[in-house]
Amino acid sequence: MPHDATLLDERDAAARAAAADLARTPEASARTADHGHDDLRSLEAGLDRLQTSPDRAPSAWRRFTTSVLPPILFVVALIAAWQLYVVIAQPRPDIVPGPVDVFNAIVLGWESGRLQLAVITSLERGVVGFLIAVIVGTPLGLLLAEVKPLRRAVGPIISGLQVLPSVAWVPAAILWFGLTDATVYFVVLMGAVPSIVNGLISGVEQVPPQLRRVGTVLGANRTRLATLIVLPAALPGYVAGLKQGWAFSWRSLMAAEIIAMGGTIGFGLGSMLQQSRELADIGGVLATVLVILVIGILIELAFFAPLERRMLRRRGLLQGGTR
Amino acid sequence: MSGQTAIRIDRLGKRFGAGPLVLDDVNLSIETGEFVCLLGASGCGKSTLLNLIAGLDRPTTGSIDVPAEGAAVMFQESALMPWLTARQNVELALRLRGVARTARRTEALELLDVVNLADAAEKRPHELSGGMRQRVALARALAQDRPVLLMDEPFAALDAITRDLLHEELERVWRRTGRTIVFVTHNVREAARLGQRVVLLSSRPGRVAGEWRIDTTERRRIESPEVAALSIEITEQLRKEIRRNAA
Repeated sequence: MPHDATLLDERDAAARAAAADLARTPEASARTADHGHDDLRSLEAGLDRLQTSPDRAPSAWRRFTTSVLPPILFVVALIAAWQLYVVIAQPRPDIVPGPVDVFNAIVLGWESGRLQLAVITSLERGVVGFLIAVIVGTPLGLLLAEVKPLRRAVGPIISGLQVLPSVAWVPAAILWFGLTDATVYFVVLMGAVPSIVNGLISGVEQVPPQLRRVGTVLGANRTRLATLIVLPAALPGYVAGLKQGWAFSWRSLMAAEIIAMGGTIGFGLGSMLQQSRELADIGGVLATVLVILVIGILIELAFFAPLERRMLRRRGLLQGGTR
Repeated sequence: MSGQTAIRIDRLGKRFGAGPLVLDDVNLSIETGEFVCLLGASGCGKSTLLNLIAGLDRPTTGSIDVPAEGAAVMFQESALMPWLTARQNVELALRLRGVARTARRTEALELLDVVNLADAAEKRPHELSGGMRQRVALARALAQDRPVLLMDEPFAALDAITRDLLHEELERVWRRTGRTIVFVTHNVREAARLGQRVVLLSSRPGRVAGEWRIDTTERRRIESPEVAALSIEITEQLRKEIRRNAA
């Protein structure tokens, strides 16, 4: 093995000397000890090589053909089928527009600047609302995960809140906060916080007890056990919670924007959707739905998917996978 | 060996709650630098005894004296942190011991070299074989720098070839570091191969049922005739103890 010669440091030499001292005939057994150790080193290196398989990182081309290409092909096929239907069945264009009409509606929205305004307004609210939810949800989740009596008391209510559609809060929010941004943020928070809290709790619950024991044996106190062992071990559950929390934020935001219009509430994608409906502009409605969908997918692909993939790969929880 | 007592166990008894006695009147004195194998069938309370020595649990009666610095523990599962590399796992132990940040990296790499794993320092646990993981766990236990090393069936889940190599590795590390090692196992041959002293525990309740001392421990192998002979002797006694439970 190549490292045999290079890795024998002073400590090793000292150990050999010590081993030699122990033996009855120093010179002879120093040589055998030396030899024995080298033997063991090469044996172990050989066995290690046999028992581990080299990392097979998928090639860029393979990743493209297995995970990027299929959804693109599917979308292209979908659009083709849609266009074909419009050409063959000739439905009323004010009820079923073709792909071209929808595309034109997007271009129109872009040229008038309404689309950009709506996207920026909604994204800003979605991201800010989500970040507030993370800031509120994380300590709350940790508190509930670590203090058992509290979790028994509050846990079921948090789970219940996760089931309650956060749109249900819109009327109350309008009465409390009026037609302001506060209404929108309140609804987003009610949607996202329970998911984040629940994700963190289940992440902490799934930490193997063995890891906590090792932490204790290594001499970690309560705080260091939480920060150095429990939190990192709970990360997969936490990230899953964040992902779901974002999805709930985005959905709640759209619902809130559709219902609550006017006042000081700005012009978001939900408002654009509602406006297009009032103008009976089906092309505009579908174009907006498409934009909302694409933004959701882009955030997932650009942020959560790489985060999750990296974390799972580091822990050996990703077997090739489809993503 | 130096002849100083590292661990003194005196009239130790242990029961959990109102349950039956798990350990009864265990007396044992282990010298500094000694390699002792605790051997017994299931239910003899050997893991309980180890937890008591480690301070993870308290005795019901009697007393245990261990060095003030405490003991390092190694389990059957390597229990490495899956999000940390081999080096970072060792560094975690150093950090919790209070080693300065700047010194951790070098020391961790030195410890990994002790178990012949310097090349795998940047690998994560899932990229390592079972034997390699246990060697990282051994390096982590050494990183605690405690005079006593407690091992709870650390090689039980490994294949025979790997286990054989790790016996050699452990023996080498023991000779090199002079640690006091208490090694719990239910494998008679393993005990006869590794220990300077083999302590047999009876089952329900656990008591010391026999003790063997091995004078020359150098160049023993699992297939050595003296190891085989001792194994036969110990197995006889072990079976006698097990049979008593049938009555």
